[in-house]
Amino acid sequence: MSTKLFPSPTQFPEDKPYWDAAREHRLLTKKCNACGAVHHYPRPRCPFCGSADTAWIEASGKGVIYTYTIQRRAPRPTAPAIIELAEGPRITTAVVDADVHALKIGDEVEVTWMPTENGTPIPLFTTPAAQSARRHAAAALAATAAAIDPAQAARVGQMSRAAVVGAGNMGMGITQCLLMAGFHVTLIDQFEASLERARGLLVKALEHGVTRGKWSAEEAAARAARITYSTQMSDLSNAELVIEAVWEQLALKQEVFAAIDKHAHPDAVLGSNTSSLDIDLIAGATRNPERVIGLHFFSPAHVMRLLEIVRGPRTSEAAVHAARALAQRMNKVGVVVGVCVGFAGNRLMLARERQAARLILEGAQPQQVDRVLTEFGLPMGTFELQDMAGGIEIGYRRRQETGEKNWLMDRFFELGRLGQKTGKGYYRYEPGKRTPLVDPEVTALLKEASERAGITRRAISDEELRDRLILPMINEGAKLIEEGIVERASDIDAVWLSGFGWPTWKGGPMYWADTQGAANLLARMNALAAHGDAFKPAALIEKLAREGGRFLDTTTTA
Amino acid sequence: MSINGKAYIAGIYEHPLRRADGVSTAQLHADVAHGALADAGLTLDDVDGYFCGAEAPGLGGLTMAEYLGLNKLRHIDSTETGGSSYLIHLRHAAQAIAAGHCNVALITLADRPLAAAAGTGLAGVDRSAMPNLPYSAGVPGIPMFAYAMVAKRHMHEFGTTSEQLAWVKVAASHHAQHNPHAFRREVVTVEDVLSSPMVADPLHRMDCCVVTDGGGAIVVTRPEIARQLKRPLVKLAGAGEAVKHPNGGRVDLTYSAGVMSGKAAFEEAGVTVDDITYASLYDSFTITVIIQLEDLGFCKRGEGGRFVADGNLISGVGRLPFNTDGGGLCNNHPGNKGGMTKILEAVRQCRGEAHPAVQVKDHHTVLAHATGGMLTGHHASSTVILQAE
Repeated sequence: MSTKLFPSPTQFPEDKPYWDAAREHRLLTKKCNACGAVHHYPRPRCPFCGSADTAWIEASGKGVIYTYTIQRRAPRPTAPAIIELAEGPRITTAVVDADVHALKIGDEVEVTWMPTENGTPIPLFTTPAAQSARRHAAAALAATAAAIDPAQAARVGQMSRAAVVGAGNMGMGITQCLLMAGFHVTLIDQFEASLERARGLLVKALEHGVTRGKWSAEEAAARAARITYSTQMSDLSNAELVIEAVWEQLALKQEVFAAIDKHAHPDAVLGSNTSSLDIDLIAGATRNPERVIGLHFFSPAHVMRLLEIVRGPRTSEAAVHAARALAQRMNKVGVVVGVCVGFAGNRLMLARERQAARLILEGAQPQQVDRVLTEFGLPMGTFELQDMAGGIEIGYRRRQETGEKNWLMDRFFELGRLGQKTGKGYYRYEPGKRTPLVDPEVTALLKEASERAGITRRAISDEELRDRLILPMINEGAKLIEEGIVERASDIDAVWLSGFGWPTWKGGPMYWADTQGAANLLARMNALAAHGDAFKPAALIEKLAREGGRFLDTTTTA
Repeated sequence: MSINGKAYIAGIYEHPLRRADGVSTAQLHADVAHGALADAGLTLDDVDGYFCGAEAPGLGGLTMAEYLGLNKLRHIDSTETGGSSYLIHLRHAAQAIAAGHCNVALITLADRPLAAAAGTGLAGVDRSAMPNLPYSAGVPGIPMFAYAMVAKRHMHEFGTTSEQLAWVKVAASHHAQHNPHAFRREVVTVEDVLSSPMVADPLHRMDCCVVTDGGGAIVVTRPEIARQLKRPLVKLAGAGEAVKHPNGGRVDLTYSAGVMSGKAAFEEAGVTVDDITYASLYDSFTITVIIQLEDLGFCKRGEGGRFVADGNLISGVGRLPFNTDGGGLCNNHPGNKGGMTKILEAVRQCRGEAHPAVQVKDHHTVLAHATGGMLTGHHASSTVILQAE
């Protein structure tokens, strides 16, 4: 969501009190002492009787929607609107940072103050529902930082030396995070060439930060000086923290961890950036598995705030608290999760992706799926995201390893449809531009894919698309709670807010589920039972539906 | 003083270009001026009254007077109210002629927003010191959002549907197919309109008029001069102009100032809606047409959606043929001001010179109406009623 500043408003001299009050987040309007009318926008003379005897009065900041529309391409959710203030006047303004697609004429709204370039805030409006959701989002994020063992906090606070094993993109990103947190980093890779590449890119990134005013040239130089490059595992022996970020393959990671274990300081914390492998199997390659913990960063690591902290059955409490303290030190949202496929973030996303892949064979077009998701509030649709992140190629390579066939996706690859990289994927792209454009070739390929799969394509409503895509996510969320993978239900929200762009004005997946109500969700899931196990409700959902309970009130067995 | 019968439209011209690369705005004004004068059979030296809007380069018509070569001006008027300016110019010209302040009035419009990539704004209009602007800070103030909000409210109060809005575009497209100069000539269906991208809920792309270059011009003169010329006589029977604005916050969005301008025009012309066999209705957006139909009295308030449904605006099919040139929705909306082209097609119909496929048989009394500005904000409405003699 955009936090971009609005341009500063022009301030006419006679309006000074209005802007003074704005700086105190107070909304003023004008009342005429001669005829009693309230008018807005405010001016020195009453537009109804002409009297100059007008006075500033404080407005409640509350109103109802008289009419509105939706701005489709905007940095933040924006609904230009005419709001009828509680004091009477109907004013031209906008409803922002709320569920603009769910607005109705007559809805109550309240003023919200938006920062501008020169520091004078301007009033716009938002919904009470969005305000509640934002309060929950803040609480969910704060809960992840609560109650860290002071001994571990102190220990991590005093750490100064870290090592990163694996100089690929993730290793580089993690190195940047550690540098920003004040660590000296030893970056280790078996290939000199990889280290050279990493050095070049890291220096470039530091210079880029100077250009963009993020840090000074002195700071950039100091950070560059804090990186040591080495092909020798033994060079991590004085590191207090070691993070492994090599290729995602169990045997390789076990081999690397055995080597790390051999050279690492006995008190060092050992972390793995694995996104899909069992941390316990990795920890089993060391002599002291209790100090091994998953530290699942999200790409790009120096930007994404989420850090999933994966505790295995043998991980010690000390290691967990140290990881949480580390997340805090790196200004990240550290969410502790247990071992399962996809943890708390990807598990829900994969459930959604599976549905998306089916839906385009059943009759939906990628642009419709993406529009439904962005209207829901997610920053980008799933197919646009895949085109951007190279999902088509990643999937193809994975299928090459497993031998699995997927006619449509294999065909995409054969046709060079890899996404933005090749100018075409699920969409086509004009040279140098990122705007996804509908590609008739894709429409034709989908048609053929459906025929080959023996599926009769049909028109699918936005409402059905939404439920098909989102309900399986909630189902997985419920299972995460049942299985004790997360410490609290709101942690699922913290993961999605900080790592997947779930909008703060929508609270989080489990917050949203509670706004719908478990009984309502259960009915909707049952209505979609024909679409497979993804819609078979978790026991928790049935229980909450029966008892009228809320997901956010559940305690887990973690 | 009534202007009924005091002024006649003697010449019209619509620039054939819809995209004016390599042609300046001034030159476009000159093109249309000469075109209308030639149509009338009059010359620059005959012109003693000149009318234009803010997009005419320079200071209020003075620069264009020099550029064109108008040396006999006794009356000048650069009233700017957006697209409705030209119907207001027509009324003002008739009043000036009736009062003896000029004999031959020339009205020109021309601009090139498409070639200049200038978007949907109005050239020559400075909004920087508008006192309301700081209070709408952070709100995108483009027309599309304002008209979308009117549509949303209309749907809320009267149950107007997207399908009904779409019929307005469908009708315009049926007419545009016959116009070789139209920007968009393809005939569309309700489904086509509804599947065009939603640009500002509830308006789809096809609910919005085109952005074109070019322009048009009109020559207005006193009856004695008109009767000496060689073109069918088009009499100005009645006209009205009115203003509506947000009124300090006390505003009802379901009607426009057309209620007042229409009433004045009908009274002056001494006719009713039942006498009107063709109407040019400002079509910046489909909702504009619906609101105007209600305001002018073609149907009751709230009934506009039902009125336009099922082809009721299509010539040869429905009760009220409208915008038979294809309108702003399909043919032309030059400089983001559609009032001039509304008058031009009304004159063609009145003369019996519209395309045969869309010409109404009884073209004795026709109407043109425009809404200039923002329907949620400040706007001016103007209505003119023309009669064939």
